[in-house]
Amino acid sequence: MRLNLFILTACLQAGILMPGSALALGDASKIAIPQIQYEGGNYQPRPHAVGSLLAQIAKRTSIEVNRKPLSLKPGDPRLYRYPFIYMGGRETFQPFSEKALKALRNHLTYGGFLLIDDNSSKPNSAFDASVRRLIRRLFPHIPLQRLPRDHSIFRSFYLINQVVGRVVNKPYLEGITTKGRTVLVYSANDLGGAWSKSKLGHWEYDIIGGGNRQRRLSLRLGVNIVLYALTLDYKKDMVHLPIILERLRRVNPR
Amino acid sequence: MNWLAAQFGEGWSEYNAWELHWTSDVWGGTFAFLGVLIVLSLWFLWTSLARIRSPWKKTGLYALRAMTLLAVVAAILQPQLEFKKIQPLKNTLAVLLDDSKSMTIKTYPSEKSRSDGVRRALENNREYFERLKQTYEVDFFFASDKIEPVSMANAAAEYRAQAVNTNLHQVFLDVAQHYEGRSLQGILLFSDGADLTQEASGISPEFTETLTRLNGPVHTFQAGSNEGFKDLAIDKVDATDFGFIHQPLNISVSLSARSIGKKNIPLVLKEGDKILVSKIVSLKDDHLRYTADLQFTPTSLGKRIYTLSVPVFAGEAVEVNNRWSFEVKVIRDRVRVLHLNGRPSWDSRFLREVLANNPKVDLLSFFILRELADDVGASTSELSLIPFPSNLLISDYLNSFDLVIFHNFKFSPYIDKKNLANIKQYVEQGGAFLMIGGNLSFQSGGYDRTPVEDILPMRIGSGSREFLLGELQMGVQPKLAHHPVLRLENDPAQNAKAWKSLPPIQGANIGLTPVKGSHVLATIRKHKTDVPVLVTRRVKKGRTMAIATDSSWNWNFRRVGEGGSGRYYQKFWGNVIAWMTGEPETYPIQVETDKEKYREHEKVIIHFKVSRQDYNPVPGVEVDLVVKSLPQERERVRQTLTTDERGEGRFEFAPGREGFYSAQVSLTSGGEVLSGETRFIVFSPQVEFQKPLVNEALLKAVSKVTGGRYHFLEAGMKIENLPFPNPEVEIKSSSRMVSLWDSWWTYGLIVGFLTVEWWLRRKSGLS
Repeated sequence: MRLNLFILTACLQAGILMPGSALALGDASKIAIPQIQYEGGNYQPRPHAVGSLLAQIAKRTSIEVNRKPLSLKPGDPRLYRYPFIYMGGRETFQPFSEKALKALRNHLTYGGFLLIDDNSSKPNSAFDASVRRLIRRLFPHIPLQRLPRDHSIFRSFYLINQVVGRVVNKPYLEGITTKGRTVLVYSANDLGGAWSKSKLGHWEYDIIGGGNRQRRLSLRLGVNIVLYALTLDYKKDMVHLPIILERLRRVNPR
Repeated sequence: MNWLAAQFGEGWSEYNAWELHWTSDVWGGTFAFLGVLIVLSLWFLWTSLARIRSPWKKTGLYALRAMTLLAVVAAILQPQLEFKKIQPLKNTLAVLLDDSKSMTIKTYPSEKSRSDGVRRALENNREYFERLKQTYEVDFFFASDKIEPVSMANAAAEYRAQAVNTNLHQVFLDVAQHYEGRSLQGILLFSDGADLTQEASGISPEFTETLTRLNGPVHTFQAGSNEGFKDLAIDKVDATDFGFIHQPLNISVSLSARSIGKKNIPLVLKEGDKILVSKIVSLKDDHLRYTADLQFTPTSLGKRIYTLSVPVFAGEAVEVNNRWSFEVKVIRDRVRVLHLNGRPSWDSRFLREVLANNPKVDLLSFFILRELADDVGASTSELSLIPFPSNLLISDYLNSFDLVIFHNFKFSPYIDKKNLANIKQYVEQGGAFLMIGGNLSFQSGGYDRTPVEDILPMRIGSGSREFLLGELQMGVQPKLAHHPVLRLENDPAQNAKAWKSLPPIQGANIGLTPVKGSHVLATIRKHKTDVPVLVTRRVKKGRTMAIATDSSWNWNFRRVGEGGSGRYYQKFWGNVIAWMTGEPETYPIQVETDKEKYREHEKVIIHFKVSRQDYNPVPGVEVDLVVKSLPQERERVRQTLTTDERGEGRFEFAPGREGFYSAQVSLTSGGEVLSGETRFIVFSPQVEFQKPLVNEALLKAVSKVTGGRYHFLEAGMKIENLPFPNPEVEIKSSSRMVSLWDSWWTYGLIVGFLTVEWWLRRKSGLS
């Protein structure tokens, strides 16, 4: 009798008696970040970067994540189930087709967000040149610009006043902002390299220059970028400003 | 005369006068040229006749040439003879009776109105006007800023002082136009002279010029006097047509006080019987005009009618100007929305974007970015997070929001459970509460057996902690397709198509049971049963809604990916906000009039559409229509009307008098009373009372300019010996023209004269 009750309870907890329903939030409602699978070059030089970032997000924030790796081609209609997409690389890649460009442009214009990460660790790399060509084609009338220090990305969760990655090629982020919303962010500092952890939980790539602090800041920046995509300019609402400004004054008295 | 006409044959004897006409087509220079030519021609002729000795011949030749030239000139001037039948005619006199509103003002000590004086004068002097009619044509007119003919017999009976403006200059212009080409030899004007366009001191130059163009004198009769005139008036109120709810509204009031004395009087602003604000105005002996500024805060939406009043003192000439009602359309400036998010998600991100970009929405968002178990790996000073101000929001400031959204939000540990009662109370008192699904909502949010469950449209089953996953196509309930929340397109067929075009949702909260009185607008189909997803409910004065999914964002972003747009998503959320905050267009009974403002005696058309709480039209049902005058709420009309097959109806109403009115349509169904209301204004401008004093100077000036006489209209006054010119006036009843030049004998005469002259010259040896 006691055994029967245990089995029944276990079945209920596992949802066996309720096919099609679940006690936990489904994968579809969790935040997943697919990676753009472009032609030419290695589109995934940091294969564990996104998963590692999502793990950090799950650990540090209230966001529920889906860490299952996912790669999608730029014109794949399934992109519209994932408003946040990641694109990494370290080499030249083939130009996107017009159809893929249009799909990506629509994705970003109507609510999507693209994080591009140069994993080459070199300034002005071949990947960097390809990215800039892509962005010029993607948004011919909007220049790629440095994100200002008071951009919501730098205060969406952590208060950040230093832009780093595994390397520090450019101490700033660049982005495309349209209709008041930043839809594309480009980091030249190999953020993915700083985030990547192996399946055994070891950091996969050494930090060049700043050690653990630089990795910590890279992780914080990754969290903030995702939070920005999810909450937009929420942290610029008046209710937050006094506290944020006061803390910023304390951290950076200048 | 008859002899001349008889020369033209039969049918000419009826004419008793004739007149010679010359052409007007010939240019003046032609006459001068012809004159010079004739004189030169005669001079040359005279010199050429020097060889003729006989003076008779010489004179004869000269006369023949002169006759020829005269005949040529006559042919050029085209003479015509007009035979006319002329008859003698009577001259005309006009009697103008001022029927403007200022004529209702009483004169003291008799306490008779100025119009009463005029009416009595007409009755007392009927014989005089009858005598005048023997000599003149006498026309009567009501005059204000225009003239309106009336027969002499009916003038006294039909005389009502109700015209809204006085402009005597315009009246005399109209008179001049009316009598153009006719013999008007004098005017009798009965008026108080309270002309809004003229100064109290006299008459304008333009008016003077118009008067001087008239033929006869204008005899003026002053109705009423300024003796003992006492009046306190609200002359003008400057207020905007619309205001924002819960925001102060300023009004500026202009007052005038005549012979009221030194007093402190209260100026009171009311809505219905409720005093909103009052102010003391200090009147002085030597002061006529005053201004006062008032400020009040509208607390109800819609067309509101406010009334300003000052006390009525004994002996005041005009009482109606002690009160001034005005209408303000009170609207929301912005809908204040509190959006609490249990965690950042794409659903909350897209909803936040829609709310933040809606210019009608004032949004306050909170995201729970970190839970207690989360390890942020940083000190608080390195975070942008702020404590959730639950006490401030849920206790102190809750009532300042129009809509509260719990978006996949678990109240614990952020809101004390006992404070959930505040949300229930807030809704019952007219607030709006929306719970959006997800695994932190409903059952998972711990809302079962809380005050929030009491107000939700769905009951949370115990132990039913379920969240259904997968691609779930949502279907709108056809029976509730008219609900404003579901109205993506106006056309029902297009609307159904629009809903079908939306991508499926990716999850739904299940195990929820709609409560009695709620409306299940949309469901998903699972295991052969309908699972409610969109459910609405009215809770006392407030409204609640449950959206049992956290993937409505699919209708935006995913639909774009499928080649559509996010338009329906935005429209859906616009509808949700409008319905939840009780925008007037979401009332089940819609009442409207064809206009907002009507003139006095204009017909008002009231149109209404009756729906049930579920917004389905109610055909063939009896509804009560009540028209009330405001602010007294006095019932003017009560009718029972039946709706047509579309649940609509129409009623025509003749309000007659000026004022504010409300038209309310109500339906009693199953013990519940639904009603809708609209308000309209019937106006009659009160500008007449802005210059209420008798203008004696103007009436005297009018008489003086035209050579007439000024009279003060005393009780029982007999009018006599008014001088009017009476020149002979004739009228041409018929005429006939006879041409004297375009005939054979005219040209024969010219040829004859020339032939005889030629013969005589030949005989005299001239070439």
